[in-house]
Amino acid sequence: MTTAAARQRTQHAAQDSHAIVFDTVSKRYPDGTVAVEALDLTLPAGELTVLVGPSGCGKTTTLRMINRLETLSSGCIRIGDRDVMESDATQLRRHIGYVMQHSGLFPHQTIADNIATVPRLLKWPKSRITARVEELVELVGLDAGLIRRYPHQLSGGQQQRVGLARALAADPPILLMDEPFAAVDPIVRTHLQDELLRLQARMGKTIVLVTHDIDEAMKLGDRIAIFNQNGRIAQFDTPTRLLAAPADEFVVDFIGADRELRRLALQQLDPEEIDPGVHVAGSATVGDARTRLQQAGSSGVVVLDEAHRPLGWLDWERLRQADGLSRIEQLELTPWRHRLHERTNLRSALNALISAPGDVMPVVDDDGRYLGVISQVQLTRRLS
Amino acid sequence: MNDSLPALLQGLIGWLADPAHWQGSNGVLERGLEHIFYMMVSTLIGAAIALPIGIGLGHSGRGGLLAINLTNIGRAVPSFGVIIFVFLLVGYGVIPVIVALVALAIPPMVTNSFVGMRGVDPAIRQAATAVGMTPWQRLLQVELPIAMPLIMAGVRTSAVQVMSTATLAAYVGLGGLGRYLIDGLAVRDLVQVLVGAVLVAILAVATELLFAGLQRLVTARGLRHD
Repeated sequence: MTTAAARQRTQHAAQDSHAIVFDTVSKRYPDGTVAVEALDLTLPAGELTVLVGPSGCGKTTTLRMINRLETLSSGCIRIGDRDVMESDATQLRRHIGYVMQHSGLFPHQTIADNIATVPRLLKWPKSRITARVEELVELVGLDAGLIRRYPHQLSGGQQQRVGLARALAADPPILLMDEPFAAVDPIVRTHLQDELLRLQARMGKTIVLVTHDIDEAMKLGDRIAIFNQNGRIAQFDTPTRLLAAPADEFVVDFIGADRELRRLALQQLDPEEIDPGVHVAGSATVGDARTRLQQAGSSGVVVLDEAHRPLGWLDWERLRQADGLSRIEQLELTPWRHRLHERTNLRSALNALISAPGDVMPVVDDDGRYLGVISQVQLTRRLS
Repeated sequence: MNDSLPALLQGLIGWLADPAHWQGSNGVLERGLEHIFYMMVSTLIGAAIALPIGIGLGHSGRGGLLAINLTNIGRAVPSFGVIIFVFLLVGYGVIPVIVALVALAIPPMVTNSFVGMRGVDPAIRQAATAVGMTPWQRLLQVELPIAMPLIMAGVRTSAVQVMSTATLAAYVGLGGLGRYLIDGLAVRDLVQVLVGAVLVAILAVATELLFAGLQRLVTARGLRHD
């Protein structure tokens, strides 16, 4: 107990030292263009902060100033209490992971060598590098058989995974990601986003991710900084607060017209709201089902199989016409196109309910077993 | 003297079949080695000058246009003119020949190494910086290996050109396979002229093949898209 607590404390201390603080940072180019203007921003340690905004808003410049790929014109950036401009740029970069849009893999090196780049620069012993590469390949979900291949032999999604593995190789406390999923197709993108969230839940790194996609920002960000065109921050907040209380018209416009729907996506079903519903086993008789229905006063019944999984919906009209002695499972049931998981978000729930027979949807647990139903009426009450 | 083609070919084979023509200071082996020596020395000196320039300019991305234009002007200067000019300056010896051949070897190597270095994807260059490579590490571990196929293509072009042009050495009284051409022309011994031409051509083709193999050898496996 005490060691666990102590470990947690040291972990917290370590994390705090990796908060990234922008103190009135400006970036002007020699031609007079202002990329970033008097930026004050604290990116909390151990969180995933998303920088989002229209193109040319300075979000990428902001990211690149952290590892000194861009030099700041004025102000200062601190990681913990260290000023980045006072650290050696090369050393600094070896301790900050960097993932870019096009994986940026070295085409002449194998996947293993690409991943090993930073450990090699840090002069780790060979055996440690080999072990670390194997570990990373598994961590980012790559097939171990790929490590002897070359980048051009991999798909875009696989290359992005290698890019992530390379960035994580020396276990840096900070990870910078510059539009990491912009160049892959939507299905792969969703997959990679989910993986990143899964990894981050385990790693708790300080991640700064740049995107122009507000959906991606909402999905990934613990906090989101929305940049406006003038290189200033319009709002810096959690996704929930951005949706609930947008700071100005720009933020409202940027989030888009479906703000209410996006809010729903951030809320989960409340277990209290799940109604036990009226359900019968497939092996029950039509007569039993009629009795149950009449007692409950419902318009239909959820039919379950032996494993307690929902089979389909049976409405009153069909029950009434059926032979009272036949079994339920011999009747024609209306199946659901979706299953609602108990931890599903309200947006998916609403979406599923729109097409649900009988205006109710069964809610299931991890094993697909019936927990109860949620009805359109209940959900609408929750929304208003 | 019979100048018909079959007779010339017969003469050629007869000439080459005579062991006496292969030995001694005017033998094929000696002359061939001299020829190869001119080529090797000139290409090496040329590479020592051209590659740092092309690679350096390509790495920094500055002054490339100037360098390429200068070398293109260099290409327009006739090698024979250079030989005579340097011959007049320093007199008899191997230097005028080497200077002319080096001048010939430089342009393809500068251009190719510059283009090869510039051809490295900026995203890859940036990635090298972002992972914490020093400029030297970036050059040696990333840019050079990726540019290597093109750089070697430049060396190959230069070597082949120098190999054929080394024939000119004989004009200023030096050796090499050009001797057969010059001497043969002087006495209108067409068989000997043909011997010189054929041997130079064979050496040039051999150089081409050798350097093509070398180019393949220095191309990292990940860059071979076959």
